[in-house]
Amino acid sequence: MELGKDFLDSLDIDTSVKVLMYLDDPCDVVRVGSVSHFWRDFVISNSVCKQLCLRLFPQLSSLVRVVDITDRAGMPAEAGSSRSIEWEHEDREHKIYASLAWGLTSSEVSDCISEAISASSTDNYPEESIHNTLEPMDRVGRRASYWSSSGQRNPAVPEKLTYKLVSDFCVVTEISVQPFQAFFQAYSPIYSAKAVRFRMGHQLFSDDSDSDQIMEGTQPADNQFVWTYTSPEFPMAQENSLQKFKLPQPVLCIGGFLQIELLGRVQTQEMDGLFYICVAHVQVVGRSLSPVFVAEILDPSGKFILKYNPKAKFSAPCAGEDHPDQVHGTPTVAPEIVHRQVRGWEQILNLLRGNLGVGAYDFDDEHHESDDEELAVQFIP
Amino acid sequence: MSTEERRIVVLRSSDEEIFEVDIDVASESQTIKHSIEDDDSGRVIPVPNVDGHTLAKVIEYCKKHVETPRSDDRDAQDALRAWDTEYMKIDQNTLFELILAANYLNIKGLLDLTCQTVADMIKGKSPEEIRAMFNIKNDFTPQEEEDIRKENQWAFE
Repeated sequence: MELGKDFLDSLDIDTSVKVLMYLDDPCDVVRVGSVSHFWRDFVISNSVCKQLCLRLFPQLSSLVRVVDITDRAGMPAEAGSSRSIEWEHEDREHKIYASLAWGLTSSEVSDCISEAISASSTDNYPEESIHNTLEPMDRVGRRASYWSSSGQRNPAVPEKLTYKLVSDFCVVTEISVQPFQAFFQAYSPIYSAKAVRFRMGHQLFSDDSDSDQIMEGTQPADNQFVWTYTSPEFPMAQENSLQKFKLPQPVLCIGGFLQIELLGRVQTQEMDGLFYICVAHVQVVGRSLSPVFVAEILDPSGKFILKYNPKAKFSAPCAGEDHPDQVHGTPTVAPEIVHRQVRGWEQILNLLRGNLGVGAYDFDDEHHESDDEELAVQFIP
Repeated sequence: MSTEERRIVVLRSSDEEIFEVDIDVASESQTIKHSIEDDDSGRVIPVPNVDGHTLAKVIEYCKKHVETPRSDDRDAQDALRAWDTEYMKIDQNTLFELILAANYLNIKGLLDLTCQTVADMIKGKSPEEIRAMFNIKNDFTPQEEEDIRKENQWAFE
């Protein structure tokens, strides 16, 4: 058995750091930091955990600082203070970044959409509103469930669907979109887009309550959001299937908003000869880091601080019931109608008025005397 | 100097071993490349920090990488990577001498490869295994070790 060598001790610092930069699993970095005092000090003083986070998620470059909210010891060390205070600061940072690294890479993955915010256009509101895209089925009862854009002569006109995620600090791994196939029209056309692209970012207003101001069904002013990430374009198939678009690398969405751009139209409606894009279902899969990490955006450019709560646990994000840290102005809907906080008031009213809306209950034929139009399953022009 | 197409450079290791090397191969090292550019008289270039055994190994790497044409061909890339993997089957001592040499001679590809190899040796290992591999003494008290484990329990599961 050959005699090993403590390379961290014998190589120069830059080279040793270079070696550790090849570790891309936070478990490895933490274990390296538990080998000996020297190794631990090396990992801490060279911010190896922080570097790992930045490497895996370049979106973190806008991070100004991390703050441990349970830390009563006070402000981070000022420049020029004694070595021991600086060390304590580095030690604290190491702990936070280790936890962040784990959360970013290994916490539980699940559905990340909290609510549908707006669509760039909607043909028939609210029957064909963006809220339908959160319903996995393309029909509920006898009624088709999909979002439809307005018609266009020019197939190059794009559309945008904007969603809010379950937290302001989410890693997104995969986005799925199912184009809608109008099964009730001749030849069952599929109103897909040529390609899709995704953007992520934050709202321009810093106040959470302003999210109420984004009116349903209206055009979102693009200047309401700052998109800090734009994905490459992914071609979309003209197929009635839930198409998965895997991002080249998982992306950290800071600010909690995601936009799907639908680029290029391929299908005209026979009746009016206009191009439409229709989507049956949208799904975003990822990891929410709240309530352990909460992002607070400082300015429109996206610079933010991270508040770390070591007492909290990484939980599986669920849009709806038991997510105490979610502060949204949206109304909670009765569970027998929907499972998620996705429906706006208009749709609830529709339901209560007796229109056949999107609901998970059995449709009874006897009910259709007063509302003939809505009940006939047809593509509303 | 001869008017042959292929020019030769003479390198001398720290233990006085002489190596005649193609100029292209030697120029994989930025350090040697600059040295040649500064002084083209054809004298022997001393490599004081690197012994003969290590220098031979360095030259082997440079030769292979110069000879292999850059290509987008998947198979060619895989083949080169496989060669690199075989090449890296060396004892720890040679590995660290190689890192130091690649660093001094400024050969990016070799430095990346050797550092990656060390990192690969660490991946997935427990602290005990890492200590055993690199002959490191555990100077933590049991209490300190316990505290560290608790701090990031997920890393030790």
